[in-house]
Amino acid sequence: MIANRPWLHGFLDLCLLAMLAERADYGYGLAQRLAEAGVADVPGGTLYPALLRLEQQGLALPSWAPSEAGPRRKYYEITDAGRETLAAQAQEWTRFRDGVDMLISTVVPR
Amino acid sequence: MSWPAVFEAELLRLGLQPRRARQLSTETVQQAAEHASAPADIFGPAHLYARHLVSELTVTAPVPMRTTGPVLLRLTGVGKRYRRQNVFHDVSLTVRGGEVAAIVGANGCGKSTLLRICAGLTRPTSGTVERTRRVGLVPQDGGTAGWLTAEEHFRLFGAAAGMARPRAASTGDHLAARLAWRPRRDQRVQQLSGGTRQKLNLVLGELHSPDLLLLDEPYQGFDQGAYLDFWQQVFAWRDAGRAIVVVTHLLHDLANVDHVLDLSS
Amino acid sequence: MTALVVASLSAREVGRRRLALALMVSLPLWFYLVRHAQAGSSIRMLTLGIGWAISTLTLFVVNASRTVDPRLRLTGASVLGIVGGRLLAMTGVGLALATGYGLLAVVDQKPLHPWSVMLMMVVTAIVAAPLGSLIGAVLPRELEGAFALFSFSAVQMLADPGQLVAKLLPFWSSREIGNYAIDGGSTDLIWRGLAHGAAVWVICTAGTVGFFAWRLRLARYPEPRP
Repeated sequence: MIANRPWLHGFLDLCLLAMLAERADYGYGLAQRLAEAGVADVPGGTLYPALLRLEQQGLALPSWAPSEAGPRRKYYEITDAGRETLAAQAQEWTRFRDGVDMLISTVVPR
Repeated sequence: MSWPAVFEAELLRLGLQPRRARQLSTETVQQAAEHASAPADIFGPAHLYARHLVSELTVTAPVPMRTTGPVLLRLTGVGKRYRRQNVFHDVSLTVRGGEVAAIVGANGCGKSTLLRICAGLTRPTSGTVERTRRVGLVPQDGGTAGWLTAEEHFRLFGAAAGMARPRAASTGDHLAARLAWRPRRDQRVQQLSGGTRQKLNLVLGELHSPDLLLLDEPYQGFDQGAYLDFWQQVFAWRDAGRAIVVVTHLLHDLANVDHVLDLSS
Repeated sequence: MTALVVASLSAREVGRRRLALALMVSLPLWFYLVRHAQAGSSIRMLTLGIGWAISTLTLFVVNASRTVDPRLRLTGASVLGIVGGRLLAMTGVGLALATGYGLLAVVDQKPLHPWSVMLMMVVTAIVAAPLGSLIGAVLPRELEGAFALFSFSAVQMLADPGQLVAKLLPFWSSREIGNYAIDGGSTDLIWRGLAHGAAVWVICTAGTVGFFAWRLRLARYPEPRP
């Protein structure tokens, strides 16, 4: 649940951009990849607004594609601006992660 | 009404364009279908998700470095005495464009008086005030005429500001929509709920697009959603380079403001 | 421009208060009916009723906008625009009331000089509006203002016309014009009445504007130094 991982909210955009940089995907697919990676079980009410926000900011480009079963799907593709944001946020994340690692390494041995 | 219909209606009420609301509603249904679920199971109650989605979409990426503009209000050693009674003394505050200042303090410590001094409606006994010319005041209550409609208020305040009638009306409607309120033409102010009346008060305070906004606990009677809309509006003003001074007693408001002036200390 | 908008909206505000409006309109009628048997007296009482009704209405309209006016001022309206607009609206309401009752009195009582009965009513209405607004300006709360207005009207009604005090009262003008209209005599009465009415109007209007200019004054602050 995202509720007990409040910090994820700040890095959800980063995770989504990273996954889209790997390959274009649609909402449900992204949710599954997040869950498989063990990051979080992101509820739809958090995931889809985040995707719309990426679309609005021009970081991801949507396109419609039919699916084998059921309704058509909205696939997102990362844009150049999206890649730039991804690079910047990834750097920020690394710095943040290293800092947290250093703080907890004395208490929680690896 | 079905979930998508409620959702779309709420999006419209929140001020989205009809086309955009329809589009979001269709997409949301499709997103739920991806999970092979009903929208209510994925997103919860329609009106709450509509509100959540709109607030998620209006808060664009946080601007990392906000630039502040010129000084729009400066109080230097300001004091007020009524006859023998000292209300406050030696108050100093500088607020620039793009900043929010909060005035806090116990009841009766002169918060409203200080705001009226900033507006120029009350004179300070001591100290100096420098202030930009264009200023808007939103009083704690009152300040509206009960027998007039919201649209008539827009016309009245628009005339005071020298605006043509159509522009005053459309500006008023636009500002109201940002607070998720659609004024009805046949509804008098006395028939509005307390919270909606305060929304009217807010709209009237900024109808003439002042550079400095003075707000005296303007959210009395607001529900949770309106309260969030209000703060979002405050930050939108701030990001547009205006200065805001707000009297408040809610401590959790203070996390996001630039200056806090405690009058009771 | 502002004055016209304020005037039209003030009139609309009053127009929506149906019950208050009905009571206000009927007030002079009771005065009139009580003395209906005596033509002269009934017309004089009718005028007093009109004066009382319009000044009370103006008093309440002015007081009701007490919290709105400073905001209008801050938004950019002039004192003259705000006060002038309200006076304009109330004078208009007064003129409508005066014309209606004037016609009633003329048709019903067939006075000596019908046109001067009309004049008497109209002058009363024109004087009543600024009188009400002046009291509202000096005594900004409803209760105090209403008591002051009661006192004025009571003295007006009871004062001996021979006494000096009667001549100093705001509605003396209509009494003078009324004397000509009902009992006849020199047209000097008309001119004296008009002069008295004009003087009262100027004093009350100037007083209203003066008081409001003081109450709605805005501190002039310099632009901030950078």
